[in-house]
Amino acid sequence: MRRPGLRAARMRVFRSRGEYMSDTMSDCTNQEGTRVMSKAARGDHDSSQRMARRLVRLKARVAEIHWQAIIIPILSLVAGVGAWQWLTQSHVQFILDFSNIPTPVDVFAALRAVIVTHVFWRDIFWSMYRILMAFGLATLVGVLAGIAMGYSAILRLLIAPYIEMMRPIPAIAWVPMAILIWPTTEESIIFITFLGAVFPIVLNTWDGVRRVPHELVKAARSLGANRVNVLFHVVVPYAIPNITLGMALGMGGAWFALLAGEMISGRFGVGYFTWESYQLIQYGNIIVGMLTIGLLSSVSTGSIYYLKRKMIPWAE
Amino acid sequence: MRNIGNVEIQQLTLGFKNFGAVKAIVEDFSLKFDGGSFTSIIGSSGCGKSTLINAIGGHYKPMAGHILLDGCEIKDPTADLGIVFQQHTLFPWKTVRENVRFGPMQRGVAKGEANRIADKFIEMVGLSSYASYYPKMLSGGMQHRAEIARALANAPAVLLMDEPFGALDAQMRATLQMSLMEIWRETKVTIIFVTHDVEEAMFLSQKIVVMSRDRGRIREVFTVDEPFPRNKEQLFTSHYGRALKEKCLGSLAA
Repeated sequence: MRRPGLRAARMRVFRSRGEYMSDTMSDCTNQEGTRVMSKAARGDHDSSQRMARRLVRLKARVAEIHWQAIIIPILSLVAGVGAWQWLTQSHVQFILDFSNIPTPVDVFAALRAVIVTHVFWRDIFWSMYRILMAFGLATLVGVLAGIAMGYSAILRLLIAPYIEMMRPIPAIAWVPMAILIWPTTEESIIFITFLGAVFPIVLNTWDGVRRVPHELVKAARSLGANRVNVLFHVVVPYAIPNITLGMALGMGGAWFALLAGEMISGRFGVGYFTWESYQLIQYGNIIVGMLTIGLLSSVSTGSIYYLKRKMIPWAE
Repeated sequence: MRNIGNVEIQQLTLGFKNFGAVKAIVEDFSLKFDGGSFTSIIGSSGCGKSTLINAIGGHYKPMAGHILLDGCEIKDPTADLGIVFQQHTLFPWKTVRENVRFGPMQRGVAKGEANRIADKFIEMVGLSSYASYYPKMLSGGMQHRAEIARALANAPAVLLMDEPFGALDAQMRATLQMSLMEIWRETKVTIIFVTHDVEEAMFLSQKIVVMSRDRGRIREVFTVDEPFPRNKEQLFTSHYGRALKEKCLGSLAA
């Protein structure tokens, strides 16, 4: 760990000399170093010096990356896949039966085969479409219901019993009812997905609205805001972290419900693809389907967290 | 003395009903605040000072009695009754400038004009270079200054302050007291200042009201005759200052 005094001393020497010293510069990895570099080197247009400068900056950035955070997870995954390959290749049968499980090589071959088919992408499209529709509706209904419950005790007492009763029912149990109630299969699948997403959103929104400090509301009202403005300018901004958390949880619930609906209703979709592969004894495709589901689900949940970070940098 | 910002409290009773039994926090409280005056309310903890301030601000409905602002009864919080709380109430998702311009913008002032007003008051409290900062980046004293600027940007008739400097260190408190004096001199707003620090009350205000624990009864009202601008050393070492402080402390302890 270099002493800061030493680095500052080097900086002073560099500035006073006004010339580029490669040895000193390579030691300095802080922003000040690069700023001073560009200031002093402004007079030079020598391209070799510019190249050397770029190299030093690259080295600085490389040194800053936390290599452990990237290499260790990768090694862990490689080890895991290796273990999987060994277990399935050797048809190990010790408590668990790996004799029928496809190897990673089989899965990769199945992936290559299926990724060029039109059906695979059609299934992905349908799953994403249903998720977006159902999740969008769930966000709208959930946020409105959560805010209503936070504001009005009567509405809370009216709505809460339904939430508590319907929330624990798993998506699969909804399938027969949904098919009977809704005119088309597509609508029933979206309804099941909607139910999977809406409950975390309602509860987290309600919690966020409930948590708004009373002083903040009082301060806003004493600044001349009427009740509507308090809702939009104080309550909702304060509750946004809770709302986005609810949305992320709801996204996970939506995927879970969607797959249940797709598998049983049988009409396109990644869940249907996975279930059909099981029926057709294409075991490699099952794992392809599972991995696809995992990827799509984490991308959609990650995009919600990304949106949240963009919208509210102040909450971090 | 101004012709606006006169607050009159008439036989005010504040409390709540608890299963039929009525618990009064403040009972039969009557007091007048002239427009443009600076009044301090002191009392031991739990005597109802904060409740009284909140009621004047329109946040609590009185059980009995009236609070009048320039002759009109106060029913709801309005922009005319600015409040500065002890806790930090800056909106954390807005910068200082956006916080300060919140009041004017609620009234419908255009954004450019609101920014101008906000910058004026931010400069008055000495936070010009921090106008684009978020509250979490500011220290406690700076947040309080921003809150004062935010309350003042609305040009309220009355400024209610509920132990605003209670959680600050002595140096920051002294700085903010001087800023408050400047602001009061410039804007001539009626200030009702709740504190538990007798010296602060003596230094800042024209009148000191001592509330008791017994249902918020007014024990005594002291008038501080020292002319402005005041000097802390001079005030507290003078015979008059020391006698007044003794009387206040005695009244508090009684």
